[in-house]
Amino acid sequence: MAIPFRDCFVFLQQRWEDELVVTSAGNSGQMWWDLTKNFDQVFYLDASMSMSTLFASGIAWSLPEAKVWAFMGDGAFCMNPGMLMVEQDLNLSNLTHIPVSNRVYGATSDIDLPNKQVNDYIAMAHSMGLERTYSFDSLDALQAGFDNAFRGNRDGHTFVVLELDPMLPQDARLEVPPMDGPELKFRFGRYVERTYGCNIFSHQI
Amino acid sequence: MNKQQKVAQLVIEQVAACGIELVASLPDNWLADVIGGIESDKRFRHVPVNREESAIGLCSGAFFGGKGSLALMGASGLMTVVYALTKINFTYEVPLLILITLRGAPGDHHKHHVSNGLYLLPVMDAISLPYMIIDRRDKIPDIKRAYEHSRTISRPVVAIMTRDVLRGEG
Repeated sequence: MAIPFRDCFVFLQQRWEDELVVTSAGNSGQMWWDLTKNFDQVFYLDASMSMSTLFASGIAWSLPEAKVWAFMGDGAFCMNPGMLMVEQDLNLSNLTHIPVSNRVYGATSDIDLPNKQVNDYIAMAHSMGLERTYSFDSLDALQAGFDNAFRGNRDGHTFVVLELDPMLPQDARLEVPPMDGPELKFRFGRYVERTYGCNIFSHQI
Repeated sequence: MNKQQKVAQLVIEQVAACGIELVASLPDNWLADVIGGIESDKRFRHVPVNREESAIGLCSGAFFGGKGSLALMGASGLMTVVYALTKINFTYEVPLLILITLRGAPGDHHKHHVSNGLYLLPVMDAISLPYMIIDRRDKIPDIKRAYEHSRTISRPVVAIMTRDVLRGEG
């Protein structure tokens, strides 16, 4: 079983409140931009290959009062599953790591992942000591379990695997967030400064 | 405290003077005393990471919470992070201080660092990654200058330490 890609993101976007969101290059960034057109509270990281959740971990560590959702395709996850060792060490209660598992390299023509039928991301997380792990493979299950997984008691880092279908062909052609890096840096950074009272751009020298 | 540990402490004091709070590291034998000193220094949150790209990601994210950070790694590690640096730090203009070793230079007896001696500096030049070589003890304050320069240019700057300096012989 798997959740239709767009349906899952529509649901998450409807439940989104004040969380900072980090997406990775490709499917999650395109879909989140299509649904929200937000680039203040969202950092569209134009990098895949496993970078998004460590980047989000840095945000979450430095802003303990913020809540951070970080999306990552399972293609990226498989490139660096050892990231979970670092995340578990940090054990940030304000970070939700969300692998978007569709068993393909979604941003690059849906080419299959190796060993795709067998890979068990929850088991991998458990092997590195993560305890707050959740997996959803139907929209009903996600709706029923959302509050517990995304807003439940936070004793530490949370890992939520979303088993999704690959994007539909028409969605794969969605617009890429149309801004260059510096604009995104300042839009997101200024939002963080306004919201959390920190000084990103002028205090550090 | 032996002479290597004394140098390590000088390095650590420079890092602290930058206002850096987060240090992500992977080991290099030459940096062992620096890493050990940072680990035991309560001014820092030291995060041992699983690979060098993780350090780049983590430290770059911390910038967006207003926290200064340092990515500490060997020369081989720097050679693995071209993607992360160009995709994150260059694209979004995110400053970052990186401290590495000048492996493969004269005086390094390890055959397995010959490639770093040949390619480390040319690779950094090729991607226009600024660096400062700290090859004398009195240049250790350049670590803070490198950090400040990274803030000024909104890009990463690499401080490269030689074997002799780190061993207290330079």
